[in-house]
Amino acid sequence: MRRNYISLKGGWDIKMIGLNIVLVIGMLTCLYPLIWLVLFSLKDNNEIFGGNIAGLPTQFLWENYKEALIQAKVGVYFTNSVFVTAITIAATCFLSLTSSYAIIRMRWKLSKVTLNLLLLGLMVPQHAALLPLFIILKKLSILDSYWALIIPYTLFAIPMGVFIFSGFMKGIPRELEEAACIDGCNIYQILFQIVLPLVAPALATIAIFTYLSSWNELMFAVTFINSSSLKTITVGIQTMVGQYSTSWGPIGAGLVVTTLPTILIYTFLSGQVQKSLIVGAVKG
Amino acid sequence: MDKVLGDRRAIALFVLPTLILFAAIIAVPILLSGYYSLLDWDGIGEGTFVGLQNYANLLFQNTDGFGKSVVNSIILLLLSVFVQLPIALALALILARGIKGEVLYRTVYFIPVIMSTVVIGQLWLKIYNADYGLLNAMLGSIGLDSWKSDWLGDTSKALLAAFVPILWQYTGYHMLLMYASAKSVSEEIYEAARIDGATGITSALKITIPLIKPMIEVCIIFAVIGSLKIFDLIYVLTRGGPLHATEVPSTLMYKSIFDQYQYGYGSSIAIFIIAECIIFTLILQRAFKSE
Amino acid sequence: MKGFSIKAISLTIIAGVMLSLAACGSSNSGSTPASPDSSAGSSDLKASTKKVTLKMWHQWASPNDGNTKALREVLDEWNRNNPDIQIVDDGIDGESYKTKIKTAIAANEAPDIFYAWGAGFAKPFVEANAVLPLDDYLKDGTSEKLLPGSLTNVTYDGKVYGLPTSLSVASLYINKEIFDQNNVKIPTTFSELLDAVKAFREKNITPIVVGQKDLWPGMYWYDILAIRTAGAQGALDALNNQASFDTQPFKDAAAKLQELVAAKAFNDSKFSTGYNEMVSDFTQGKAAMVYQGNWLGGSVEDDQSLVKGKVIAIPFPAVEGGKGTADEFFGGAIDALWVSANTKYKEEAAKAVKYLTEQMSNKLYESGAGLPSWQVSGVDESKISDLTKQTVEMLKSATHTVMWWDIFLEGKDADRHKNLVAQLFDGKMTPDEYAAQMQKINEAKK
Repeated sequence: MRRNYISLKGGWDIKMIGLNIVLVIGMLTCLYPLIWLVLFSLKDNNEIFGGNIAGLPTQFLWENYKEALIQAKVGVYFTNSVFVTAITIAATCFLSLTSSYAIIRMRWKLSKVTLNLLLLGLMVPQHAALLPLFIILKKLSILDSYWALIIPYTLFAIPMGVFIFSGFMKGIPRELEEAACIDGCNIYQILFQIVLPLVAPALATIAIFTYLSSWNELMFAVTFINSSSLKTITVGIQTMVGQYSTSWGPIGAGLVVTTLPTILIYTFLSGQVQKSLIVGAVKG
Repeated sequence: MDKVLGDRRAIALFVLPTLILFAAIIAVPILLSGYYSLLDWDGIGEGTFVGLQNYANLLFQNTDGFGKSVVNSIILLLLSVFVQLPIALALALILARGIKGEVLYRTVYFIPVIMSTVVIGQLWLKIYNADYGLLNAMLGSIGLDSWKSDWLGDTSKALLAAFVPILWQYTGYHMLLMYASAKSVSEEIYEAARIDGATGITSALKITIPLIKPMIEVCIIFAVIGSLKIFDLIYVLTRGGPLHATEVPSTLMYKSIFDQYQYGYGSSIAIFIIAECIIFTLILQRAFKSE
Repeated sequence: MKGFSIKAISLTIIAGVMLSLAACGSSNSGSTPASPDSSAGSSDLKASTKKVTLKMWHQWASPNDGNTKALREVLDEWNRNNPDIQIVDDGIDGESYKTKIKTAIAANEAPDIFYAWGAGFAKPFVEANAVLPLDDYLKDGTSEKLLPGSLTNVTYDGKVYGLPTSLSVASLYINKEIFDQNNVKIPTTFSELLDAVKAFREKNITPIVVGQKDLWPGMYWYDILAIRTAGAQGALDALNNQASFDTQPFKDAAAKLQELVAAKAFNDSKFSTGYNEMVSDFTQGKAAMVYQGNWLGGSVEDDQSLVKGKVIAIPFPAVEGGKGTADEFFGGAIDALWVSANTKYKEEAAKAVKYLTEQMSNKLYESGAGLPSWQVSGVDESKISDLTKQTVEMLKSATHTVMWWDIFLEGKDADRHKNLVAQLFDGKMTPDEYAAQMQKINEAKK
């Protein structure tokens, strides 16, 4: 790691101090939402709406968490979210990897067209797709099942996966594949043993973004699932919002419960990015 | 080699599963939306075919502020490309070249991206609140009472006020993409540059940026498409109001489809958004290539 | 240019590929039509063992919504007493619920029983024949148990399609403590309302809080003013397109609203305040008045409320020279349960809807979360809160109720109306322009 500091060897001059101050201020503005959310989750409506929006709660309402855990059925819903998200991430990574490899590195006529077609997926406003998608899922008879979420989430995440992968794939030198080919590797070995390690940083990035889009998704989750046993955590939190009266403290508590794993996973995955970069550097 | 890379069976195996699912889940809904956009339809009963009437209403009648909504989304696009991305790039370069606390900064700058829109929305509503908001309180405490304002309720200020959280939230997103890319630039290249006397800003400008150009292009395209499709945060913060001041095409589409029972008209906005994204992407790709 | 034409060609190819893929996708789905029926087959099986499961969707899931408590109790009772007809329910909040039910009905996947608002909201459902007419099931004396007028918003073309769970009306909620402390008279006429506004403004107290970000709370103000100036019948005639909006009373109402705006009657941040913020401002005693539906009672009487016991509900003041009186109300029975036209268990579902709506009406009344739409039975009157009693008392002298205009008018017209009122609040639109624009909504229907 030490060698990373080379360009900054000059040490702590004025510029560096200035830079660090800016970075720290930036960091505080980004950290603030998290702190605010935790405080918010311990307050009652009066404090949340105006009584005391930024400060410490006058009374720490831990029962907000109790209410959120019971109301949002965190046990079941959380497991469902983990399951749906995990399969979505795995499927997205795998399908984006294979299709972007075929599109970018392999030789066939319609590769360019296919790439453009897949990128079209980035441009679809999801709200407009709701009804057509509902009808399609109904025809496939997978409404009210995990697949009704996993398949759309995966497909809406693939375009970005392909887009990011293709940038990385373009940068791989031909010689690597040629050498592997001479060594007698077949195409599957080339992809999974030679290319995959090289694009691993992209894998972690794609996993993070896929995680975000499926973990926080609400509209599909509300519309495609009816059985309580299949619902995801965002729907659980949504059930706490009422038509005429809502108590926001427990919702804050629910949001903390759903946000913390996200931060843990991100910290873990971004550590992986770092690691795989070092691995890549050694090999390269 | 050519034989291996031209293996039709492998290509089919790699691409077809994705394409088949893509056709069912994304292509068919787009086509159906295209068809719906030619109907006068409430989304439930029988629709009547009206040809391009919805598009004519959209582009020429323009009573619901559609023109304004397009202009608004273009303003967001410009802010995103020319303000947000440069900041994200600068952060990515600084962090990627190693600085004390790199991992901490990298993690923290990404937190706004991780937080759900509901949280970010509620937070900024509190910051902007005219009566007890943090922003007005801060302005008051430094003696700038005349600057206090109902940020999201004032038609002249709401647009910018609604865009600031969006730009702020997604800076970390672009930073991470560019950071991952900058990190993969091998150390030897910097070493060589350093021997040639390039350090700090020079090495960033001359070496890193050209090398991560593909990722910067990806970010630009994401930023452009993201701006044209923006919905969530605007809906939470202002619902497109006051008086359409912060309206964007997606909020109009949502309201047409789900509040106003105008599925046909709403679909024509959806198709417009897709077309707009395609056109911008094509222009950008061409620009990138010609460079 | 060359590059671009290649792009154009590839785009055409994309379109071609999409079409062929789409064709394959739809033929694919066409080849499996038997599968959705498999689930139906399994419920047939249940029918043969005489056990029926009814699916029900609603929007009462939040634990602190009075509707949720009432529904849970009533559903438990039903499922206990009807072992052969079990109801399985699924609830989600308002905004998401709207999307869900509309999508399901459009795709012909509605559950056996569902919640929906009446009038303009459910009208497309009825027109698409997605809802079962209930007239045949009401002849057993059920019709007589419903309060007069309860069916107005669930009746289309003379047929009843839904049954209401409660009645809602708006009233002016007065923070009596603030009024007393500042020696302000509780208004009974519009000019007294204006005086009160001015008195509060002089003392730097926000007279009225309104959540104009959500548009409908501000619309309530215009609508009740128009009901006062044009009279309930006048308003209904215009809404029903039997009279013009472009007439003096509707202009007067707009002018009155702008008088209030000019007197700074409303909170400074009205445009950025939503419903939730509006309610909490009022329950924290930050404003002297709010004009809202009776569901506000729940929040006012909540333990977290700082104005609990200090608030009274009064009829909206009469407007001098207007055709309406203070005995005309804004609201109606709009929350209703409906039976899907596709249900296989029409009889059972209709029976369940009758039971659920009547019992919910009682429970909601008892808990203060709603006003009854059915004749009250088995309710302990002593439990009822003062605010609810005041509203019920007011309604006893009610001559008319006019439904919420945003629900009376349909989708896009409702949206247009709300946006026009927003422009009145902003002050950039004159009453004349407003009235002319409103009349355009009527003209478009002809």
